[in-house]
Amino acid sequence: MRGKVLSLISVLLIFTLMLSGCGGANSASNTSEDVIKIGWIGSLTGDQAVWGTCESNTIKMLIEEVNANGGILGKQVEGVYYDTKGDASEAVNAVKRLISQDKVVAILGPNASGQALAISAVLEQYKVPDIATVATNPKVTVNDDGTVKPYNFRVCFIDPYQGAVAAGYAYDKLEYKNAAILYDVASDYSQGFTEFFEKTFTEKGGTIVAKEGFKEGDVDFRPQLSKIKEANPDVILMPYYYKEVALSSNQARELGIKATLIGGDGWPSDQLMTMAKDAIEGSYIVNHLDFNDPEAKPLQDAYKAKYNLPLELNGYMANDAFLLLEAAIKDANSVDPVKITESLTKVSVKGVTGNIQISTDDHNPVGKEAAIVKIESGNYIFQEKYGVK
Amino acid sequence: MSYFLQQIINGLSIGSVYALMAVGYSLVYSIMNFSNFAHGGVIMIGAYIGYFCLTMLKVPFFIAFIISALGAGLLAVSMEKIVYRPLRKRNAPFLYFIISAMGASIFLENIVIASPIGPTFRTYPPIFSTTPIMLGSVALGRIDLLMFIISAISLAALMYIIEKTKIGLSIRATSYSIKGSTLMGVNVDQVIFIIFIMGGILAGIAGMLFGMKYTVYPQIGNITTKSFIAAVFGGLGSLPGAVFGSILLGIIETMTSGYLSSQYRDLIAFALLIFVLVVKPTGLMGKSTEDKA
Repeated sequence: MRGKVLSLISVLLIFTLMLSGCGGANSASNTSEDVIKIGWIGSLTGDQAVWGTCESNTIKMLIEEVNANGGILGKQVEGVYYDTKGDASEAVNAVKRLISQDKVVAILGPNASGQALAISAVLEQYKVPDIATVATNPKVTVNDDGTVKPYNFRVCFIDPYQGAVAAGYAYDKLEYKNAAILYDVASDYSQGFTEFFEKTFTEKGGTIVAKEGFKEGDVDFRPQLSKIKEANPDVILMPYYYKEVALSSNQARELGIKATLIGGDGWPSDQLMTMAKDAIEGSYIVNHLDFNDPEAKPLQDAYKAKYNLPLELNGYMANDAFLLLEAAIKDANSVDPVKITESLTKVSVKGVTGNIQISTDDHNPVGKEAAIVKIESGNYIFQEKYGVK
Repeated sequence: MSYFLQQIINGLSIGSVYALMAVGYSLVYSIMNFSNFAHGGVIMIGAYIGYFCLTMLKVPFFIAFIISALGAGLLAVSMEKIVYRPLRKRNAPFLYFIISAMGASIFLENIVIASPIGPTFRTYPPIFSTTPIMLGSVALGRIDLLMFIISAISLAALMYIIEKTKIGLSIRATSYSIKGSTLMGVNVDQVIFIIFIMGGILAGIAGMLFGMKYTVYPQIGNITTKSFIAAVFGGLGSLPGAVFGSILLGIIETMTSGYLSSQYRDLIAFALLIFVLVVKPTGLMGKSTEDKA
């Protein structure tokens, strides 16, 4: 009896395998002829959902535009979007699915370094390129030994640069000598930022008077902030994302800390303003672009008209990543992922965050300056373009 | 010295958040002998009810508080009816209860994410001034103070109900033996209903206070892991134990961050927890398995 059941099951299994095998082959041949499939991964749920949603929305909008104008290489473009839930292993699964099941030619995103770092091995295995949006950790495109990862690209500048810019600006321009750092010990982004801030700030002659950590998911920072208050810093670096920024800056002010706050590209978000408008008044942000740049206006307006939502930083970066990919597909004159990969370092596009030309050495955009933005009565006021060597 | 006092206040404030949540765990455990992990989900829903009452219905703070407490109470009771009662009628093993509770908690989190409410963070409108009361150089938050007071009142009310009323007597009887009290004419279904409604009301209060103090988001339930641990620490099933364990955990965490390093916070707090449980498996204030509520 048992043997019969087993053989029946195995027959059924073989049958389903055959069927699904045929189905897969059919859909694959369809896709390669009619449409170009582009994958996107990022957080649609969880802490960073605001950004992931904005990225995928932007890409959806751009794809519609491109398709209305005849597509790329005469083919219609189709986007496939997967939620990583902010989790590195989910990102790996999503990439595997995009490549083996959906047969995408390239992948855009994710925005977070932790997830971008995790997917390199899969990309190399299947030889499909990925353009990260706001993954600023240096290791996203470069291996530990300094060699470039062949299929990882990005359109943003990197953490050392952000950390160095924040430190240089705080010391040279704002003339602060004592800095404290509160950072997320569980985040690659926060750690990289902190490391290079510390390095540049102390090299210039400043002192780090306190350095305190917390873990993502924490909501109360007062024990750490009380300690920072005792050290009496001029400036506090907060290199993490807006939710923690909102909570920690509010709590810092509640404890009577008056120091200037400085942060990076994890800050800008309309939610930060509603959550901590008063606490972050007068703070400085190192960002990828100036939100009031007239060149960014058309994109902002189009997004606002379509979704009735403000465009977050990630939307601008997703826009540039998409433009770069579009140019590379045209340059390669092919939908072969390997040829597209080769073209990514050949093309140069004018994005909303500046000119994007990818370096062959490290797959980072060449020579991008950071924008220093100050928060004044709920607005981001552009100060200057600032770069350090 | 003022630094030390500030850290004590920080610790008490964190501990009181844990305490309000931990009592809900202990309450259900004392009767049903399982850890109701869905409690975190109920707290989260309570926080959202309070938020929408204040922002969309624009009701006064006090009314929002009552709606949020009752809404969460109702949710807890319906969950008992839908999820736990069928298991109870079949005399299912306790593992099933725990798994169902975890399932319910994940369900609640995801239903919020999938609904139009979505996964974004929301902030309560400012109800109290955020400028703290300064005692010398020590800052005491107004919401913290409110939280102390409300926690104390609700816990006192709960203790009164359990120790002094007839319902309390049936709760205590049921916690000793469900079978025995059924034979004595106690309506066990009713006792469990009351337990869940009380736990739910506390969850609603905790959720709204949490939302006011920090922010509202679908993953609030995760923080209850800490309060569950605090409840075990203090002695699961004992209400004073839950409160005491929570305050202690809050202070240990704060002191570790304040005097050692914030990176050792969880390490030391949980090493201590394991130590306590090895030395005294019933927790700090758990007397014996028989004597619970």
